[in-house]
This record gives sequence, structure tokens and C-alpha cells, in this order.
Amino acid sequence: MLSYASAPVPVRSGFAESHQRFWDRLARPGAGWTGAERVAIAHEARAAARCDHCRQRRSALSPHIVAGRHTAVTDLPDAAVEVAHAVMQDAGRLTRRWYEARLAEGLSDGQYVEIVGTVVALVSIDRFCRAVAVPEHALPAPLPGAPTAYRPARAVLHLDEAWVPMVPMDNADTPEADLWPAGKTGNVIRAMSLVPDEVRTLADLSAVHYLPNERVRDASACQGSLSRPQMELIAGRVSVLHDCFY
Amino acid sequence: MLRESSALEGEPADITAIANPGHDSRVPHGPTLIAFAEAIVTGSQALEAARTAVVEAIGPAATVDAAGVASNFERMVRIAGSTGIELGDRLERGSADARAELGLTRPSAPTRH
Repeated sequence: MLSYASAPVPVRSGFAESHQRFWDRLARPGAGWTGAERVAIAHEARAAARCDHCRQRRSALSPHIVAGRHTAVTDLPDAAVEVAHAVMQDAGRLTRRWYEARLAEGLSDGQYVEIVGTVVALVSIDRFCRAVAVPEHALPAPLPGAPTAYRPARAVLHLDEAWVPMVPMDNADTPEADLWPAGKTGNVIRAMSLVPDEVRTLADLSAVHYLPNERVRDASACQGSLSRPQMELIAGRVSVLHDCFY
Repeated sequence: MLRESSALEGEPADITAIANPGHDSRVPHGPTLIAFAEAIVTGSQALEAARTAVVEAIGPAATVDAAGVASNFERMVRIAGSTGIELGDRLERGSADARAELGLTRPSAPTRH
């Protein structure tokens, strides 16, 4: 079990429990990747911090003019390595043309969303570890099995909403009805819905780290020891540091 | 949401503090929390001191909560950046003033090639 017992401050148990649930899921086959490939994606995401190519691109005026190869640590396809590293290191400067190039290299849109979902869940757990002075958790041993190839039947691409197909907001009569139980949600949640389990992981982590998704739009909602303005000040500063318009 | 939530608490925040940490946000312990958030994102050597400052100012439980929020948004910003999402009409309207104040803009989807 993941643990925060060594942290210099007491960490409520919800963090370890939620992080463990993601760790368990990380090891299992997903919709588009095997368990071994999913764990490899996590290894690549962590390796991006030490990748010279990532470092050169981050310091360039445009990341798309820098030639070279990533310092890969797995045998994942180049397109998957590129996505894992770029989402980890320079997500704010990605473009639709860059995304479509990855599809042209052989990734499916669902595989892309699953890489993004894996990287972003991992980074939130790794950054939490950093914040509470606990070493990053060892990645899990992958479990055998084939990807499920699950794809929501009603997922559709609307380029005025996102580059990736998403489940429609009105999904009450579908197997994805649990994804936003309040009946509506933000595009940042729907963006992961091509792989519904990514939304479920997002909701699980958010409920512990921040707020349950259905309470986010209520400005009076808060939990834990911070006031909502204190929470939003932190959220806003992190977003600005990443040049995030959202 | 910073503006809205702080207004509800009767002390409207200066949201420009999230882009200009020298500004007084009027949020209790704002500079201490901002310094902690920055250190988490950058992994700077100031992290230990920033964490200690939060513990001493607000307490250990608040330190963990602050760590949770900061790391949560390390996730959300990457989703937004890597999926090309638009704000949507409601958020577009509701956040226009705040984004202008902060100088946060992004080309619209058809031009973000």
C-alpha cells in the first residue's frame, strides 16, 4: 500500500487511498494500452524531467522547431514517448497540428487520451509527494491482459470544443451516466471522457486533492483547513505558472 | 472563482496577485501559500522553507491541503493544454474580465494550429 507515514506532517488517509486506487488501475490493462504499456507511459513521464530534448524544447521560442529525439527509457512507440514527454514538460504550448501528427504516426485518439490521463494522474501524485517531502512511489508491477478497446458509443469530435472526441454533456441514458452526476461539467473534465475511466480517476483524485467535481462550481464550497479563497489563490498561481488560459 | 469565493467571504481578493505575487491578494496568508505553490511547481530548493512557513502560519493540516490543491492543478493545467479544450460559453462569459485582468489569452481553436 502507498503510504505517507514518513511525511513531516500528518497526511489524512484519503490521499494514500485515492493514490493507491490509481496505482492499482495503472497496473491493469486500459482501453488502448496493456498494463505494461501503461506503466511504461508513467516511466516516460518521469523520465521527461531528465530528457535533453525536452529541456531544449522548453527553452526554445517554439518547441516545434527543435529537432532531435527524446531520451526514452522504454520501448514504447516514438509517438507515445513524444506525448508522454510533451504533456509532462510543455503542455501549454501543444497545438492541434501537433496532436494530429501523433495520430498520423499511428496513435488512436483513445490511446492519446489514455496517455494524457495517465500522465496527469501521475504528475498530481508525484507533485503531492514532492510537496509533503515523501519520495516518489515506486511504480507498480504491470498485470497481464489485453486492452479493452472500450470506446463510448456517443463520443463525438467537435473542433469548436476540443481536439479530442468527447462524450456529450447529455449522457444520462448511457454507460457514462456516472461521469458527471450533476448532469453538467466543465470541458476540462469532458476532455478525458473518450476513455471514461480517466474521468473516474480524475474525479477520485480531485475529491481528495481539491473538491468533488460536482461542487467545484459552487463558490462557497470548500473542504479541509483552507478557505475557498485560499484554495483558489493556490490554484490560480499554479495555473499562471503554467500559462494555462483555462 | 477566487474573485467569487472571496466576495462571498466579504473580503474581495485582488486576483492580479496570482500573476504578480508582489500584489497583496487580501487572502489570509496569501504570500505564504503562493510561495509554497511556486516551490511545488518548480521543485526549487526553497520548498522546505516554504513548507515550514505554511506549517508555522496555518498548521500542518492546512499544509497538506495546500499541497493537495497545488498538485491537483498540476493535473488540470496539463489536461487543458493537451486536449485543446475551449472554455465553453458559460466560462467564457464568466471569466472574461478576470482573464483580461491577468493577461491570459489563448488563440481560438481554429487558429491554434
